[in-house]
Amino acid sequence: MQLALVGLSHKTAPVEVRERLAFENGDMSDALRSLVSRDGISEAMILSTCNRVEVLVEASDEAPARDFLSSYHRVPSESIVKHLYTLRNNDVIRHVFRVASSLDSMIVGEPQILGQIKEAYRVAQDAGTVGVHIGSVMDRAFVVAKKVRTETGIARSAVSVSFAAVELARKIFGNLQGKSVMIIGASKMGELSAKHLKRAGVSTVLVTNRTFERAVEMAQVFDGAAVPFEHLNDHIDRADIVISSTGASHFVITKLQAESIIRQRKNRPIFFIDIAVPRDIDPAVNKIDNVFLYDIDDLQQVVDENIKERMSEAVRAEALVDDEVRAFRSKLRSREVVPTIVELRETLEKLRRDEIERNRKHLAPMNPEQREALERITQSMINKILHHPIMQLKDMAHQHDGPEYIKFVRKIFNVKDR
Amino acid sequence: MHVVLLRVALAFYSVGLLHAVVSVLSRKYTFFRASLYAVVAGFVCQAISIILRASELNYMPLTQRYEAFSFFAVLGAMGYLIAYARYRITTLSIFVFPVIFILTFIANVAYDPSSSIPPVIQSNWIYVHTPLIFLGYAALFICFAGSTMYLIQERELKSKHHSLFYYRLPSLEICDDLSYRSLAIGFPLITLGIVSGALWAQSAWGTLWGADLKILLSFFTWLIYLLLIHYRFIAGWRGKRAAYLAIAGFVSVLVSFLGANYFGGLHSFTQ
Repeated sequence: MQLALVGLSHKTAPVEVRERLAFENGDMSDALRSLVSRDGISEAMILSTCNRVEVLVEASDEAPARDFLSSYHRVPSESIVKHLYTLRNNDVIRHVFRVASSLDSMIVGEPQILGQIKEAYRVAQDAGTVGVHIGSVMDRAFVVAKKVRTETGIARSAVSVSFAAVELARKIFGNLQGKSVMIIGASKMGELSAKHLKRAGVSTVLVTNRTFERAVEMAQVFDGAAVPFEHLNDHIDRADIVISSTGASHFVITKLQAESIIRQRKNRPIFFIDIAVPRDIDPAVNKIDNVFLYDIDDLQQVVDENIKERMSEAVRAEALVDDEVRAFRSKLRSREVVPTIVELRETLEKLRRDEIERNRKHLAPMNPEQREALERITQSMINKILHHPIMQLKDMAHQHDGPEYIKFVRKIFNVKDR
Repeated sequence: MHVVLLRVALAFYSVGLLHAVVSVLSRKYTFFRASLYAVVAGFVCQAISIILRASELNYMPLTQRYEAFSFFAVLGAMGYLIAYARYRITTLSIFVFPVIFILTFIANVAYDPSSSIPPVIQSNWIYVHTPLIFLGYAALFICFAGSTMYLIQERELKSKHHSLFYYRLPSLEICDDLSYRSLAIGFPLITLGIVSGALWAQSAWGTLWGADLKILLSFFTWLIYLLLIHYRFIAGWRGKRAAYLAIAGFVSVLVSFLGANYFGGLHSFTQ
């Protein structure tokens, strides 16, 4: 099996180049079929996302794949060549494993890329342009990606402020099902956080704003209820999570208010998210039992720590991918050795039979026992001659220069390539 | 045979201990699966050991100090396995596994081959009183662990600097729920246990209360938990304050369980 990969990503090419070489979903099957119709390409798959375009082929050379990329998109190859990376064989395997595991992503650990690769593989399967070679790499890549996700923390924690808020809410309330959120001040940021919370299971959304119409508008987006700003205090105790982002220059919620809210809530915890600058909620509120307050800086700090955590987890993930590549290569090599062993046996067996046939007339007529003895003797000679070379082959297949050994053995025994 | 099984159980529990220590030191959660299986195996060995001991004595196997520790350990393991099946909180193991190990370790060290049953505890009441008290203790131990996890997680959330614990511990809601439910199970058990103890005392000595340190301490413990139940149900306490009280209650459990053995009295089991 010989693999080649030609591609470009956010690391090597600006968006102007990436968009010029991207493939439309609808054209993918045709593109794949035209790719495998080229000389020297037996299998092909194309991954095209907004951050990368990659052409993976089973071929002894990457040139046809590179030519295809420029001719298909009608761009001169000189203009793109400096943005392209070209990989062969083992480097392809490593690259595919890393990309699937989201180690090569712009935001390390983001989960979409695996789905995109699975989709690209499915499209190639439907188009009939992938076989056992690319198939075995992809199957393994999906396993590796899952392993990286579960065994390391690269995707564990939120790396955006609005997701960090959801994650914190989960650490306080566990399941968010049936919880309610109140948004004070209809800002973009508040809306985004509320959207994430809603997706995480929050059932009720209350919106309040100084301009009531805006509150009504936003409440509609979330299928929630609008509350007039003056009645904020009558409703706020119903909310488990409060997101505040008004333009007020003073505290909208004071410590005194928060104390009365927690009394009304009979000590059920409440989570204040203050994303306003200047702040809407008195920081002293955080000192009250069962009240948790995070302002924008706190959330940013959580995100920063999470990113640091991801980076250190990524190092572990890389090591895991390395191990997987090594294991996969060794499996491939031992698979490659099997045909050689079979052919080696066949070659010598043919030799044996030909020799017996050729010398038949020199031999006196034999009774069945004698004939059987002759067969047994010649066969056992071949087995003895082959025993050591085969053991060595099996052994060496796992080593780095395994393919060289295989070639060498084929040469000295004159095993013809089929 | 039961001694061998007790030693084997200790060996299994040591895997759990190792898991807890390595996980805390390396700040990574290591070989939890293996240690869970080891603790299950240890639990089975220890349970069989206790049953064998019971059939050898033909009596409740709580006649000696080592038996009491072994019994407590096995109930702790059972409590953990139930809580794990219900909540899937892996982190609980970091608290529970070392405790199970230590209890079993003490049981192994304090092993005494004598099989004479002190006359003071020769009564059928032992089959009622001790299991109730011990099951209650096991539930309250889980309540304690839940409360401790709650306090750690609450601190993480309030401080806004998140450490390993923040990621590994379950949400506040689950910690609180765990300690609440185990309290709801443990409190009736120790209440019935104390009542049955009083009845036992009456049948043995004709009085409801012996002048026994452990009885007094247990009563004090019971009052703490009564207070906790009261605040939880009536005053709507939850979270931090409830957690502190639950921890105080368990410290009192430990004092009455361990302390009484050394200060003497009816529960010291020494002739």
